[in-house]
Amino acid sequence: MDYCLDIISDEEKEILQEIMNIAFGKAAADLAEVINIFVVLSVPNIELLNSQDLPSYLKTQVSEYERVSIVEQNFWGDFKGSAFLVFQASAGRELVALFGDNSDDFGSESIDALEKETLMEVGNILIGACVGKLSELLGDAVTYSPPRVVTENTHNDAIPTNIFESGSSAIVLKTVFCFNERNVNGFLFLVTSNDSILWLKKSLATFMEQYE
Amino acid sequence: MIKKILLVDDSPISRRIMKSCLPKERGYEIFEAGDGLAGFEAYKEIRPDVTFMDLTMPVMDGSESTAKIREFNPEAVVIVCTADIQIKSITNVLDLGALMVMKKPPSKETVEDALSKAEKHIG
Repeated sequence: MDYCLDIISDEEKEILQEIMNIAFGKAAADLAEVINIFVVLSVPNIELLNSQDLPSYLKTQVSEYERVSIVEQNFWGDFKGSAFLVFQASAGRELVALFGDNSDDFGSESIDALEKETLMEVGNILIGACVGKLSELLGDAVTYSPPRVVTENTHNDAIPTNIFESGSSAIVLKTVFCFNERNVNGFLFLVTSNDSILWLKKSLATFMEQYE
Repeated sequence: MIKKILLVDDSPISRRIMKSCLPKERGYEIFEAGDGLAGFEAYKEIRPDVTFMDLTMPVMDGSESTAKIREFNPEAVVIVCTADIQIKSITNVLDLGALMVMKKPPSKETVEDALSKAEKHIG
């Protein structure tokens, strides 16, 4: 894993951490406007990994949850990668209630559909606002794939095993959050590969130039 | 008149950004702290005219630090500069006595406005 360490410097990691902090703050505020919720934020973390280690890293991070629900969305621009929003499996039903839907009115099949739609909506807001703000701060604009939602699965099965080509490097931007009212915890991982690293280094330098 | 400014933020990059936005010609004496508890301790020692405070920090968050500073000195001028721009977070720190809330990243203009507001408040 050591060969990754010189890909971005400690200072670049700190800049990226601060930009992720700003971006997720915007995402949390956007979500709080849509549903009556308060998102407790934490200090983001940046990790550099060999892409082969990425699936096991993600699984280890969420191992406190026996079963998980995941919203996965890819994004393209100069900043290119994948976003994984990971909740404990029970989060879907809690979030349905926050959107004001009474799941008691639905049959079991409909409840599953409602949970999936709700997770997709929350994922769209959090991932879209976070990646969008991060890209904007770095002078880019991205497009998104439709989100993929996996509900109530083991993290072994829910997290894809081949996220990037083996032999490449990955930068993981991780934020842990908590929806206070419902005691729902989750993780947002933004993962970008070799393809974006040169652009990222240049954009981080440009971002800081305005403050010199 | 503002002479001493304390910057409380766990991110060295964020502190560097804030320092670059402060008007250099005014010759402010600038102090820094890396978390809310260190910020509170620094406040008691330095007695800055203005404290710029982040919210999401390890050890002690900015809300608690603001509350402690304002309890120690009810006249303390605390300006919150944060990425957490949820209405509830903003309302909470204003209720705790923060003078105003600025969203990150700051700009020279927003910092200038905040300092003008602080000057007026100090009188």
